Amino acid sequence: MLSVEILKVFPGFTLDVRWEVGDGVVALFGPSGAGKTLTLQCLAGLIRPDSGRIVVRGRSLFDSVAGVNRPVRDRNLGVVFQGFALFPHLTVMENIAFGLDRVASEVRRRRTEEMIERLGLTAVARLRPAQLSGGQQQRVALGRALALDPDLLLLDEPLSALDSPLRRSLRDDLQATLRGFGKTAIVVTHDLAEVCQLADQIVVYDRGRVVQAGRKSDVLGRPASPEVASALGIRNVLEGTVLESTAEFVRLDWRGHTMVAANWPERPDLPAAGSRVAFFVRPEHVRLMRKDRGGPVPERRVNLISGAVVGEVDMGSMVALQFRAEGDGPPQARGYDLEIEVSRLVHEKLCVYYDRQWTVSVQPSAVQLLPGLRASAAPG
Amino acid sequence: MDFAPILMSARVASLATLLAVVTGTPLAWLLGRHRFRGQAFIEGLVLLPLVLPPTVLGYYLLVLVNRSAPVGQLFDGLGLELAFTWRGAVLAAWVGSFGLFVRAAQAGFELVDPRLEDAARTLGRSEWSVFCAVTLPLAWRGLAAGTALAFCRAVGEFGITLMVAGNIPGRTQTVPLAIYDYVQANRMAEANALSLLTLAVVGLLLLLARRGSGARL
Repeated sequence: MLSVEILKVFPGFTLDVRWEVGDGVVALFGPSGAGKTLTLQCLAGLIRPDSGRIVVRGRSLFDSVAGVNRPVRDRNLGVVFQGFALFPHLTVMENIAFGLDRVASEVRRRRTEEMIERLGLTAVARLRPAQLSGGQQQRVALGRALALDPDLLLLDEPLSALDSPLRRSLRDDLQATLRGFGKTAIVVTHDLAEVCQLADQIVVYDRGRVVQAGRKSDVLGRPASPEVASALGIRNVLEGTVLESTAEFVRLDWRGHTMVAANWPERPDLPAAGSRVAFFVRPEHVRLMRKDRGGPVPERRVNLISGAVVGEVDMGSMVALQFRAEGDGPPQARGYDLEIEVSRLVHEKLCVYYDRQWTVSVQPSAVQLLPGLRASAAPG
Repeated sequence: MDFAPILMSARVASLATLLAVVTGTPLAWLLGRHRFRGQAFIEGLVLLPLVLPPTVLGYYLLVLVNRSAPVGQLFDGLGLELAFTWRGAVLAAWVGSFGLFVRAAQAGFELVDPRLEDAARTLGRSEWSVFCAVTLPLAWRGLAAGTALAFCRAVGEFGITLMVAGNIPGRTQTVPLAIYDYVQANRMAEANALSLLTLAVVGLLLLLARRGSGARL
Protein backbone atom coordinates (compact mmCIF):
# COMPACT_ATOMS: atom_id res chain seq x y z
CA MET A 1 0.00 0.00 0.00
CA LEU A 2 1.52 3.25 -1.14
CA SER A 3 0.05 6.71 -1.25
CA VAL A 4 1.90 9.48 -3.07
CA GLU A 5 1.27 13.17 -3.31
CA ILE A 6 4.13 15.26 -4.67
CA LEU A 7 4.54 18.83 -5.81
CA LYS A 8 7.98 19.83 -7.02
CA VAL A 9 8.59 22.94 -9.10
CA PHE A 10 11.66 23.41 -11.26
CA PRO A 11 12.24 26.23 -13.73
CA GLY A 12 10.40 25.02 -16.83
CA PHE A 13 9.02 21.81 -15.30
CA THR A 14 6.49 21.09 -12.60
CA LEU A 15 5.82 17.67 -11.12
CA ASP A 16 2.34 17.63 -9.63
CA VAL A 17 1.14 14.08 -9.03
CA ARG A 18 -1.18 12.22 -6.69
CA TRP A 19 -1.82 8.49 -6.80
CA GLU A 20 -2.43 5.51 -4.59
CA VAL A 21 -1.75 1.84 -5.26
CA GLY A 22 -2.05 -1.46 -3.45
CA ASP A 23 0.38 -4.38 -3.28
CA GLY A 24 1.61 -5.76 -6.57
CA VAL A 25 3.62 -4.47 -9.47
CA VAL A 26 2.87 -0.91 -10.53
CA ALA A 27 4.19 0.58 -13.78
CA LEU A 28 4.93 4.29 -13.89
CA PHE A 29 4.51 4.72 -17.59
CA GLY A 30 4.93 7.67 -19.91
CA PRO A 31 7.28 9.39 -22.32
CA SER A 32 10.79 10.49 -21.33
CA GLY A 33 10.79 13.69 -19.33
CA ALA A 34 7.30 13.09 -17.90
CA GLY A 35 8.59 13.03 -14.31
CA LYS A 36 8.65 9.29 -13.63
CA THR A 37 12.26 9.06 -12.46
CA LEU A 38 11.84 12.27 -10.49
CA THR A 39 8.91 10.67 -8.65
CA LEU A 40 11.10 7.69 -7.82
CA GLN A 41 13.83 9.98 -6.48
CA CYS A 42 11.28 11.74 -4.28
CA LEU A 43 10.05 8.36 -2.98
CA ALA A 44 13.62 7.27 -2.22
CA GLY A 45 14.31 10.58 -0.47
CA LEU A 46 17.08 11.61 -2.86
CA ILE A 47 15.09 14.70 -3.87
CA ARG A 48 12.88 16.62 -1.49
CA PRO A 49 9.43 17.59 -2.81
CA ASP A 50 8.28 21.19 -2.28
CA SER A 51 5.17 19.82 -0.64
CA GLY A 52 3.10 16.66 -0.40
CA ARG A 53 2.90 13.36 1.44
CA ILE A 54 4.40 9.91 0.93
CA VAL A 55 3.02 7.05 3.00
CA VAL A 56 4.25 3.46 2.69
CA ARG A 57 2.26 0.77 4.53
CA GLY A 58 0.98 3.32 7.02
CA ARG A 59 4.44 4.76 7.65
CA SER A 60 4.96 8.42 6.72
CA LEU A 61 8.21 8.97 4.81
CA PHE A 62 7.46 12.55 3.91
CA ASP A 63 4.76 14.94 5.03
CA SER A 64 5.22 18.64 4.40
CA VAL A 65 2.33 19.56 6.69
CA ALA A 66 3.48 17.47 9.65
CA GLY A 67 7.14 18.34 8.95
CA VAL A 68 8.23 14.73 8.35
CA ASN A 69 11.13 14.01 6.01
CA ARG A 70 12.85 10.74 6.79
CA PRO A 71 16.45 10.57 5.56
CA VAL A 72 17.18 8.14 2.73
CA ARG A 73 18.84 5.61 5.03
CA ASP A 74 15.77 5.30 7.28
CA ARG A 75 13.21 4.75 4.51
CA ASN A 76 13.82 1.01 4.12
CA LEU A 77 13.27 0.96 0.37
CA GLY A 78 14.99 -1.18 -2.21
CA VAL A 79 16.10 0.73 -5.28
CA VAL A 80 17.28 -0.73 -8.59
CA PHE A 81 18.91 2.17 -10.37
CA GLN A 82 18.95 2.73 -14.11
CA GLY A 83 22.17 1.06 -15.29
CA PHE A 84 22.13 -0.77 -11.91
CA ALA A 85 24.78 1.38 -10.14
CA LEU A 86 26.60 -1.66 -8.76
CA PHE A 87 29.68 -0.92 -6.66
CA PRO A 88 32.52 -1.61 -9.10
CA HIS A 89 35.13 -2.11 -6.37
CA LEU A 90 33.17 -4.83 -4.56
CA THR A 91 32.43 -8.45 -5.46
CA VAL A 92 28.93 -9.76 -6.16
CA MET A 93 28.77 -11.07 -2.60
CA GLU A 94 29.92 -7.77 -1.10
CA ASN A 95 27.46 -5.84 -3.26
CA ILE A 96 24.55 -7.95 -2.04
CA ALA A 97 25.69 -7.77 1.59
CA PHE A 98 26.24 -4.00 1.41
CA GLY A 99 22.97 -3.01 3.08
CA LEU A 100 23.32 -5.62 5.82
CA ASP A 101 26.20 -3.95 7.63
CA ARG A 102 24.19 -3.41 10.80
CA VAL A 103 23.02 -6.96 11.32
CA ALA A 104 25.05 -9.63 13.10
CA SER A 105 27.73 -11.13 10.88
CA GLU A 106 26.22 -14.60 11.18
CA VAL A 107 22.82 -13.40 9.92
CA ARG A 108 24.49 -11.28 7.31
CA ARG A 109 26.37 -14.23 5.86
CA ARG A 110 23.32 -16.46 5.84
CA ARG A 111 21.04 -13.88 4.20
CA THR A 112 23.66 -13.05 1.57
CA GLU A 113 24.20 -16.71 0.73
CA GLU A 114 20.46 -17.33 0.50
CA MET A 115 20.02 -14.40 -1.85
CA ILE A 116 22.95 -15.46 -4.04
CA GLU A 117 21.55 -18.95 -4.31
CA ARG A 118 18.01 -17.75 -4.99
CA LEU A 119 19.22 -15.57 -7.84
CA GLY A 120 21.51 -18.23 -9.29
CA LEU A 121 24.68 -16.19 -8.75
CA THR A 122 26.69 -18.80 -6.86
CA ALA A 123 29.18 -19.32 -9.66
CA VAL A 124 29.97 -15.61 -9.93
CA ALA A 125 29.75 -14.66 -6.24
CA ARG A 126 33.42 -13.68 -6.07
CA LEU A 127 33.55 -11.71 -9.32
CA ARG A 128 33.32 -7.95 -9.75
CA PRO A 129 30.38 -6.33 -11.62
CA ALA A 130 32.54 -5.53 -14.67
CA GLN A 131 33.09 -9.25 -15.20
CA LEU A 132 29.35 -10.06 -15.30
CA SER A 133 26.85 -10.20 -18.16
CA GLY A 134 24.02 -7.67 -18.27
CA GLY A 135 21.57 -10.24 -16.96
CA GLN A 136 23.79 -11.17 -14.03
CA GLN A 137 24.26 -7.48 -13.20
CA GLN A 138 20.50 -7.05 -13.12
CA ARG A 139 20.17 -9.94 -10.69
CA VAL A 140 22.89 -8.53 -8.44
CA ALA A 141 21.09 -5.17 -8.41
CA LEU A 142 17.85 -6.92 -7.46
CA GLY A 143 19.57 -9.01 -4.81
CA ARG A 144 21.24 -5.98 -3.28
CA ALA A 145 17.91 -4.16 -3.11
CA LEU A 146 15.97 -7.16 -1.76
CA ALA A 147 18.52 -8.29 0.83
CA LEU A 148 17.19 -5.79 3.38
CA ASP A 149 13.60 -7.00 2.92
CA PRO A 150 12.41 -3.49 1.97
CA ASP A 151 8.84 -2.21 2.41
CA LEU A 152 8.79 -0.97 -1.16
CA LEU A 153 10.83 -1.80 -4.24
CA LEU A 154 11.65 0.90 -6.80
CA LEU A 155 13.02 0.01 -10.23
CA ASP A 156 14.12 2.70 -12.67
CA GLU A 157 14.06 1.42 -16.26
CA PRO A 158 15.37 -1.96 -15.09
CA LEU A 159 15.72 -3.40 -18.60
CA SER A 160 16.83 -0.37 -20.59
CA ALA A 161 20.55 -1.10 -20.13
CA LEU A 162 20.23 -4.44 -21.90
CA ASP A 163 20.12 -5.29 -25.59
CA SER A 164 16.89 -6.52 -27.03
CA PRO A 165 17.21 -10.34 -27.30
CA LEU A 166 18.39 -10.40 -23.68
CA ARG A 167 15.67 -8.00 -22.61
CA ARG A 168 12.97 -10.42 -23.46
CA SER A 169 14.31 -13.32 -21.41
CA LEU A 170 15.20 -11.01 -18.51
CA ARG A 171 11.68 -9.69 -18.48
CA ASP A 172 10.61 -13.23 -17.56
CA ASP A 173 13.19 -13.38 -14.72
CA LEU A 174 12.18 -9.97 -13.47
CA GLN A 175 8.52 -10.92 -13.55
CA ALA A 176 9.19 -13.99 -11.42
CA THR A 177 11.25 -12.01 -8.90
CA LEU A 178 8.67 -9.25 -8.59
CA ARG A 179 5.85 -11.77 -8.12
CA GLY A 180 7.87 -13.35 -5.33
CA PHE A 181 8.40 -10.01 -3.60
CA GLY A 182 4.76 -9.73 -2.57
CA LYS A 183 4.71 -6.07 -1.51
CA THR A 184 4.46 -3.03 -3.76
CA ALA A 185 7.05 -2.74 -6.52
CA ILE A 186 7.18 0.39 -8.69
CA VAL A 187 8.67 -0.02 -12.16
CA VAL A 188 9.48 3.09 -14.18
CA THR A 189 9.34 2.33 -17.88
CA HIS A 190 8.50 3.78 -21.25
CA ASP A 191 8.22 0.38 -22.91
CA LEU A 192 4.64 -0.81 -23.37
CA ALA A 193 5.75 -4.43 -23.69
CA GLU A 194 7.29 -4.23 -20.21
CA VAL A 195 4.10 -2.76 -18.82
CA CYS A 196 2.00 -5.51 -20.37
CA GLN A 197 4.13 -8.31 -18.97
CA LEU A 198 5.15 -6.96 -15.57
CA ALA A 199 2.46 -4.69 -14.21
CA ASP A 200 -0.85 -5.23 -12.41
CA GLN A 201 -1.53 -1.52 -12.15
CA ILE A 202 -0.50 1.42 -14.29
CA VAL A 203 0.01 5.08 -13.50
CA VAL A 204 0.32 7.01 -16.77
CA TYR A 205 2.44 10.16 -16.66
CA ASP A 206 2.50 12.99 -19.13
CA ARG A 207 4.40 16.25 -18.67
CA GLY A 208 4.59 16.10 -14.90
CA ARG A 209 1.00 14.98 -14.32
CA VAL A 210 -0.89 11.74 -13.89
CA VAL A 211 -3.28 11.37 -16.79
CA GLN A 212 -4.72 8.01 -15.77
CA ALA A 213 -4.20 5.42 -13.06
CA GLY A 214 -5.82 2.06 -12.54
CA ARG A 215 -5.74 -1.65 -13.26
CA LYS A 216 -3.69 -2.58 -16.29
CA SER A 217 -6.60 -3.99 -18.26
CA ASP A 218 -8.71 -0.87 -17.64
CA VAL A 219 -6.02 1.58 -18.65
CA LEU A 220 -4.87 -0.33 -21.73
CA GLY A 221 -8.39 -1.26 -22.84
CA ARG A 222 -10.07 2.02 -22.13
CA PRO A 223 -7.67 4.96 -22.15
CA ALA A 224 -9.29 7.90 -20.41
CA SER A 225 -8.47 10.46 -23.08
CA PRO A 226 -6.71 10.95 -26.40
CA GLU A 227 -3.67 12.15 -24.40
CA VAL A 228 -3.50 8.85 -22.53
CA ALA A 229 -3.94 6.97 -25.78
CA SER A 230 -1.01 8.76 -27.32
CA ALA A 231 1.06 8.42 -24.13
CA LEU A 232 0.36 4.69 -24.29
CA GLY A 233 1.63 4.72 -27.84
CA ILE A 234 -1.80 3.91 -29.26
CA ARG A 235 -1.90 4.74 -32.94
CA ASN A 236 -4.81 5.56 -35.23
CA VAL A 237 -6.48 8.02 -32.88
CA LEU A 238 -9.15 9.59 -35.11
CA GLU A 239 -12.03 12.00 -34.72
CA GLY A 240 -15.55 11.68 -36.03
CA THR A 241 -19.13 12.86 -35.55
CA VAL A 242 -21.70 10.72 -33.74
CA LEU A 243 -24.67 9.74 -35.88
CA GLU A 244 -26.51 7.47 -33.48
CA SER A 245 -25.73 5.89 -30.15
CA THR A 246 -27.40 3.00 -28.35
CA ALA A 247 -26.42 0.71 -25.49
CA GLU A 248 -24.99 -1.79 -27.98
CA PHE A 249 -23.22 0.37 -30.53
CA VAL A 250 -22.27 3.86 -31.59
CA ARG A 251 -22.53 4.77 -35.26
CA LEU A 252 -20.32 7.62 -36.36
CA ASP A 253 -19.25 9.49 -39.43
CA TRP A 254 -15.59 9.77 -40.15
CA ARG A 255 -14.59 11.68 -43.27
CA GLY A 256 -17.66 10.47 -45.12
CA HIS A 257 -17.37 6.83 -43.99
CA THR A 258 -19.89 5.41 -41.60
CA MET A 259 -18.19 3.46 -38.82
CA VAL A 260 -19.78 1.29 -36.15
CA ALA A 261 -18.15 0.98 -32.74
CA ALA A 262 -19.27 -1.57 -30.18
CA ASN A 263 -20.45 0.13 -27.00
CA TRP A 264 -20.01 -1.11 -23.45
CA PRO A 265 -23.25 -1.43 -21.53
CA GLU A 266 -21.58 0.09 -18.46
CA ARG A 267 -20.59 3.29 -20.26
CA PRO A 268 -22.17 5.96 -18.07
CA ASP A 269 -23.21 8.44 -20.75
CA LEU A 270 -23.93 7.87 -24.42
CA PRO A 271 -22.34 10.44 -26.71
CA ALA A 272 -25.06 12.68 -28.16
CA ALA A 273 -25.81 12.56 -31.87
CA GLY A 274 -24.01 15.36 -33.68
CA SER A 275 -21.18 15.60 -31.12
CA ARG A 276 -17.54 15.13 -32.06
CA VAL A 277 -15.76 12.13 -30.52
CA ALA A 278 -12.26 10.75 -30.59
CA PHE A 279 -11.77 7.04 -31.19
CA PHE A 280 -8.96 4.70 -32.05
CA VAL A 281 -8.53 1.65 -34.21
CA ARG A 282 -5.93 -0.91 -33.21
CA PRO A 283 -3.52 -1.38 -36.15
CA GLU A 284 -3.47 -5.15 -35.70
CA HIS A 285 -7.29 -5.32 -35.91
CA VAL A 286 -7.61 -3.90 -39.43
CA ARG A 287 -8.07 -6.51 -42.18
CA LEU A 288 -7.28 -6.21 -45.86
CA MET A 289 -10.17 -7.60 -47.97
CA ARG A 290 -8.95 -10.20 -50.47
CA LYS A 291 -9.95 -9.39 -54.00
CA ASP A 292 -9.90 -13.01 -55.25
CA ARG A 293 -12.75 -14.21 -53.04
CA GLY A 294 -15.75 -12.33 -54.40
CA GLY A 295 -16.31 -9.96 -51.52
CA PRO A 296 -16.09 -10.34 -47.77
CA VAL A 297 -18.03 -12.90 -45.74
CA PRO A 298 -21.19 -11.34 -44.30
CA GLU A 299 -19.93 -10.72 -40.77
CA ARG A 300 -16.97 -8.82 -42.14
CA ARG A 301 -19.20 -6.63 -44.29
CA VAL A 302 -18.96 -3.84 -41.76
CA ASN A 303 -16.81 -0.72 -41.44
CA LEU A 304 -15.52 -1.14 -45.00
CA ILE A 305 -13.18 1.62 -46.10
CA SER A 306 -11.56 1.93 -49.52
CA GLY A 307 -8.29 3.65 -50.09
CA ALA A 308 -4.68 3.24 -51.03
CA VAL A 309 -1.52 2.07 -49.32
CA VAL A 310 0.83 5.05 -49.55
CA GLY A 311 3.78 3.74 -47.56
CA GLU A 312 5.02 0.96 -45.34
CA VAL A 313 7.35 0.46 -42.42
CA ASP A 314 9.17 -2.85 -42.10
CA MET A 315 9.02 -4.04 -38.49
CA GLY A 316 10.57 -7.47 -38.94
CA SER A 317 7.89 -10.12 -38.65
CA MET A 318 5.19 -7.48 -39.22
CA VAL A 319 4.77 -4.73 -41.80
CA ALA A 320 3.00 -1.49 -40.90
CA LEU A 321 1.06 -0.18 -43.89
CA GLN A 322 0.18 3.48 -44.10
CA PHE A 323 -3.35 3.61 -45.48
CA ARG A 324 -5.00 6.66 -46.95
CA ALA A 325 -8.79 6.41 -47.08
CA GLU A 326 -10.89 7.82 -49.89
CA GLY A 327 -13.13 10.49 -48.54
CA ASP A 328 -13.75 14.12 -47.76
CA GLY A 329 -11.05 16.43 -46.55
CA PRO A 330 -7.36 15.95 -45.96
CA PRO A 331 -5.98 12.77 -44.34
CA GLN A 332 -5.64 12.59 -40.59
CA ALA A 333 -1.88 13.02 -40.26
CA ARG A 334 1.35 12.89 -42.25
CA GLY A 335 -0.43 12.03 -45.51
CA TYR A 336 -2.26 8.91 -44.31
CA ASP A 337 -5.18 7.98 -42.07
CA LEU A 338 -4.64 4.56 -40.64
CA GLU A 339 -1.73 2.40 -39.71
CA ILE A 340 -2.44 -1.24 -40.46
CA GLU A 341 -0.28 -4.06 -39.21
CA VAL A 342 -0.16 -7.20 -41.30
CA SER A 343 2.15 -10.16 -40.98
CA ARG A 344 4.99 -10.40 -43.45
CA LEU A 345 3.40 -13.56 -44.85
CA VAL A 346 0.14 -11.73 -45.66
CA HIS A 347 2.08 -8.81 -47.08
CA GLU A 348 3.90 -11.08 -49.51
CA LYS A 349 0.94 -13.33 -50.39
CA LEU A 350 -1.30 -10.41 -51.27
CA CYS A 351 1.49 -8.65 -53.20
CA VAL A 352 0.74 -5.44 -51.31
CA TYR A 353 4.00 -4.03 -52.54
CA TYR A 354 2.65 -3.95 -56.13
CA ASP A 355 -1.09 -3.70 -55.58
CA ARG A 356 -1.84 -0.51 -53.67
CA GLN A 357 -5.65 -0.15 -53.90
CA TRP A 358 -7.42 -1.94 -51.06
CA THR A 359 -10.61 -2.11 -49.09
CA VAL A 360 -10.19 -2.69 -45.39
CA SER A 361 -12.59 -3.88 -42.72
CA VAL A 362 -12.58 -3.20 -38.99
CA GLN A 363 -14.60 -5.16 -36.46
CA PRO A 364 -16.81 -2.88 -34.35
CA SER A 365 -15.15 -4.25 -31.22
CA ALA A 366 -11.81 -2.92 -32.51
CA VAL A 367 -13.14 0.63 -32.82
CA GLN A 368 -12.85 2.17 -29.37
CA LEU A 369 -14.35 5.46 -28.34
CA LEU A 370 -12.28 7.76 -26.18
CA PRO A 371 -13.88 10.08 -23.65
CA GLY A 372 -13.23 13.68 -24.66
CA LEU A 373 -11.42 15.21 -27.58
CA ARG A 374 -7.72 15.80 -28.00
CA ALA A 375 -7.12 19.16 -26.33
CA SER A 376 -5.45 20.74 -29.33
CA ALA A 377 -8.20 19.66 -31.71
CA ALA A 378 -11.15 20.71 -29.58
CA PRO A 379 -13.23 23.41 -31.26
CA GLY A 380 -12.68 26.93 -29.91
CA MET B 1 79.38 12.18 2.25
CA ASP B 2 76.92 13.54 4.79
CA PHE B 3 73.66 11.60 5.11
CA ALA B 4 71.93 14.19 7.32
CA PRO B 5 70.24 16.04 4.37
CA ILE B 6 68.81 12.76 3.06
CA LEU B 7 67.32 11.87 6.43
CA MET B 8 66.06 15.44 6.84
CA SER B 9 64.43 15.39 3.41
CA ALA B 10 62.81 12.01 4.10
CA ARG B 11 61.39 13.26 7.37
CA VAL B 12 60.26 16.67 6.08
CA ALA B 13 58.74 15.39 2.82
CA SER B 14 56.91 12.51 4.54
CA LEU B 15 55.39 14.71 7.23
CA ALA B 16 54.50 17.46 4.74
CA THR B 17 52.82 14.90 2.48
CA LEU B 18 50.90 13.41 5.38
CA LEU B 19 49.78 16.91 6.35
CA ALA B 20 48.74 17.64 2.75
CA VAL B 21 46.70 14.42 2.57
CA VAL B 22 44.98 15.02 5.90
CA THR B 23 44.14 18.67 5.24
CA GLY B 24 43.67 18.37 1.48
CA THR B 25 41.26 15.41 1.36
CA PRO B 26 38.27 17.19 2.94
CA LEU B 27 38.81 20.23 0.71
CA ALA B 28 39.21 18.09 -2.40
CA TRP B 29 36.01 16.23 -1.50
CA LEU B 30 34.17 19.51 -1.00
CA LEU B 31 35.39 20.87 -4.33
CA GLY B 32 34.90 17.65 -6.28
CA ARG B 33 31.50 16.66 -4.89
CA HIS B 34 29.63 19.92 -4.43
CA ARG B 35 28.81 23.15 -6.23
CA PHE B 36 28.70 26.26 -4.07
CA ARG B 37 29.21 30.00 -4.22
CA GLY B 38 32.82 31.11 -4.08
CA GLN B 39 34.04 27.76 -5.36
CA ALA B 40 36.04 29.31 -8.22
CA PHE B 41 37.70 31.64 -5.72
CA ILE B 42 38.78 28.76 -3.48
CA GLU B 43 40.03 26.78 -6.47
CA GLY B 44 42.10 29.81 -7.47
CA LEU B 45 43.47 30.09 -3.97
CA VAL B 46 44.53 26.42 -4.08
CA LEU B 47 46.39 27.02 -7.35
CA LEU B 48 48.10 30.21 -6.19
CA PRO B 49 51.03 28.60 -4.33
CA LEU B 50 51.80 26.58 -7.47
CA VAL B 51 52.35 29.70 -9.57
CA LEU B 52 53.69 32.25 -7.06
CA PRO B 53 57.48 32.61 -6.86
CA PRO B 54 58.57 30.44 -3.89
CA THR B 55 60.47 33.35 -2.38
CA VAL B 56 57.29 35.41 -2.29
CA LEU B 57 55.42 32.57 -0.59
CA GLY B 58 58.32 32.07 1.77
CA TYR B 59 58.41 35.75 2.60
CA TYR B 60 54.74 35.83 3.57
CA LEU B 61 55.07 32.62 5.57
CA LEU B 62 57.98 34.09 7.45
CA VAL B 63 55.95 37.23 8.15
CA LEU B 64 53.27 34.94 9.55
CA VAL B 65 55.36 32.61 11.71
CA ASN B 66 58.37 34.66 12.89
CA ARG B 67 58.85 34.91 16.64
CA SER B 68 57.21 38.32 16.97
CA ALA B 69 54.14 37.50 14.88
CA PRO B 70 50.98 36.20 16.65
CA VAL B 71 50.98 32.85 14.85
CA GLY B 72 54.68 32.38 15.53
CA GLN B 73 54.18 33.20 19.20
CA LEU B 74 51.26 30.78 19.44
CA PHE B 75 53.42 27.91 18.16
CA ASP B 76 56.36 29.04 20.32
CA GLY B 77 54.05 28.85 23.32
CA LEU B 78 53.20 25.24 22.41
CA GLY B 79 56.87 24.44 22.21
CA LEU B 80 56.62 24.02 18.43
CA GLU B 81 58.86 26.78 17.20
CA LEU B 82 58.49 27.13 13.42
CA ALA B 83 60.85 29.77 12.01
CA PHE B 84 64.30 28.36 11.18
CA THR B 85 63.51 24.89 12.53
CA TRP B 86 62.82 21.60 10.74
CA ARG B 87 59.14 22.16 11.52
CA GLY B 88 59.34 25.31 9.41
CA ALA B 89 60.71 23.17 6.60
CA VAL B 90 57.66 20.87 6.95
CA LEU B 91 55.39 23.92 6.83
CA ALA B 92 57.18 25.16 3.71
CA ALA B 93 56.93 21.80 1.94
CA TRP B 94 53.27 21.48 2.93
CA VAL B 95 52.43 24.87 1.44
CA GLY B 96 54.29 23.96 -1.72
CA SER B 97 52.63 20.58 -2.21
CA PHE B 98 49.09 21.18 -0.89
CA GLY B 99 47.71 22.52 -4.19
CA LEU B 100 49.08 19.63 -6.24
CA PHE B 101 47.46 17.11 -3.91
CA VAL B 102 44.11 18.89 -3.88
CA ARG B 103 43.95 19.15 -7.71
CA ALA B 104 44.61 15.45 -8.23
CA ALA B 105 42.36 14.33 -5.37
CA GLN B 106 39.53 16.60 -6.58
CA ALA B 107 39.76 15.01 -10.03
CA GLY B 108 39.54 11.61 -8.31
CA PHE B 109 36.38 12.58 -6.42
CA GLU B 110 34.79 14.06 -9.54
CA LEU B 111 35.09 10.68 -11.28
CA VAL B 112 32.97 8.89 -8.69
CA ASP B 113 29.43 8.36 -10.03
CA PRO B 114 27.09 10.15 -7.58
CA ARG B 115 24.48 7.43 -8.17
CA LEU B 116 26.76 4.94 -6.43
CA GLU B 117 26.65 7.14 -3.34
CA ASP B 118 22.87 7.41 -3.69
CA ALA B 119 22.70 3.62 -3.94
CA ALA B 120 24.67 3.30 -0.70
CA ARG B 121 22.31 5.76 1.01
CA THR B 122 19.24 3.78 -0.06
CA LEU B 123 20.92 0.73 1.47
CA GLY B 124 20.82 2.36 4.86
CA ARG B 125 24.32 3.79 5.10
CA SER B 126 25.08 7.07 6.89
CA GLU B 127 26.94 9.86 5.09
CA TRP B 128 30.19 8.96 6.84
CA SER B 129 29.76 5.30 5.96
CA VAL B 130 29.00 6.21 2.32
CA PHE B 131 32.23 8.22 2.21
CA CYS B 132 34.36 5.44 3.70
CA ALA B 133 32.80 2.50 1.85
CA VAL B 134 32.09 4.01 -1.57
CA THR B 135 33.53 7.47 -2.24
CA LEU B 136 37.00 6.98 -0.82
CA PRO B 137 37.73 3.56 -2.38
CA LEU B 138 36.51 4.78 -5.78
CA ALA B 139 38.45 8.06 -5.63
CA TRP B 140 41.49 6.11 -4.50
CA ARG B 141 43.49 6.50 -7.72
CA GLY B 142 43.21 10.27 -7.64
CA LEU B 143 44.21 10.38 -3.99
CA ALA B 144 47.19 8.09 -4.56
CA ALA B 145 48.35 10.12 -7.55
CA GLY B 146 47.95 13.31 -5.53
CA THR B 147 49.95 11.83 -2.68
CA ALA B 148 52.80 10.84 -4.99
CA LEU B 149 52.84 14.26 -6.65
CA ALA B 150 52.75 16.01 -3.30
CA PHE B 151 55.68 13.92 -2.05
CA CYS B 152 57.72 14.72 -5.18
CA ARG B 153 57.02 18.41 -4.81
CA ALA B 154 57.88 18.30 -1.09
CA VAL B 155 61.20 16.54 -1.79
CA GLY B 156 62.10 19.20 -4.32
CA GLU B 157 61.00 22.18 -2.22
CA PHE B 158 63.78 24.81 -2.11
CA GLY B 159 62.72 28.46 -2.16
CA ILE B 160 60.02 28.49 0.52
CA THR B 161 62.17 26.31 2.79
CA LEU B 162 65.16 28.60 2.43
CA MET B 163 63.07 31.61 3.45
CA VAL B 164 61.21 29.98 6.36
CA ALA B 165 63.66 27.41 7.70
CA GLY B 166 66.97 28.67 6.42
CA ASN B 167 69.83 26.41 5.37
CA ILE B 168 71.31 25.16 8.62
CA PRO B 169 73.36 21.96 8.12
CA GLY B 170 72.15 19.21 10.42
CA ARG B 171 69.09 21.17 11.55
CA THR B 172 67.10 22.37 8.53
CA GLN B 173 69.20 21.45 5.55
CA THR B 174 67.33 19.22 3.08
CA VAL B 175 68.71 17.58 -0.06
CA PRO B 176 68.03 20.46 -2.48
CA LEU B 177 69.66 22.95 -0.09
CA ALA B 178 72.63 20.62 0.39
CA ILE B 179 73.04 20.29 -3.38
CA TYR B 180 73.12 24.08 -3.62
CA ASP B 181 75.81 24.26 -0.92
CA TYR B 182 77.89 21.52 -2.57
CA VAL B 183 77.81 23.34 -5.90
CA GLN B 184 78.76 26.60 -4.20
CA ALA B 185 81.69 24.83 -2.58
CA ASN B 186 82.61 23.18 -5.90
CA ARG B 187 82.08 19.67 -4.45
CA MET B 188 80.58 18.31 -7.68
CA ALA B 189 80.85 14.60 -6.79
CA GLU B 190 78.49 15.03 -3.79
CA ALA B 191 76.18 17.34 -5.73
CA ASN B 192 76.04 14.74 -8.47
CA ALA B 193 75.26 11.88 -6.06
CA LEU B 194 72.43 13.73 -4.31
CA SER B 195 70.96 14.92 -7.63
CA LEU B 196 70.98 11.40 -9.05
CA LEU B 197 69.30 10.06 -5.91
CA THR B 198 66.57 12.72 -6.10
CA LEU B 199 66.06 12.08 -9.80
CA ALA B 200 65.67 8.35 -9.15
CA VAL B 201 63.20 8.73 -6.27
CA VAL B 202 61.06 11.39 -7.94
CA GLY B 203 61.16 9.71 -11.34
CA LEU B 204 60.04 6.38 -9.87
CA LEU B 205 57.21 7.97 -7.90
CA LEU B 206 55.96 9.87 -10.92
CA LEU B 207 55.96 6.67 -12.94
CA LEU B 208 53.93 4.91 -10.23
CA ALA B 209 51.53 7.84 -9.95
CA ARG B 210 50.88 7.81 -13.69
CA ARG B 211 50.31 4.06 -13.64
CA GLY B 212 47.93 4.37 -10.71
CA SER B 213 45.89 7.20 -12.16
CA GLY B 214 45.58 5.61 -15.60
CA ALA B 215 47.98 8.23 -17.05
CA ARG B 216 45.53 11.07 -16.50
CA LEU B 217 48.27 13.21 -14.97
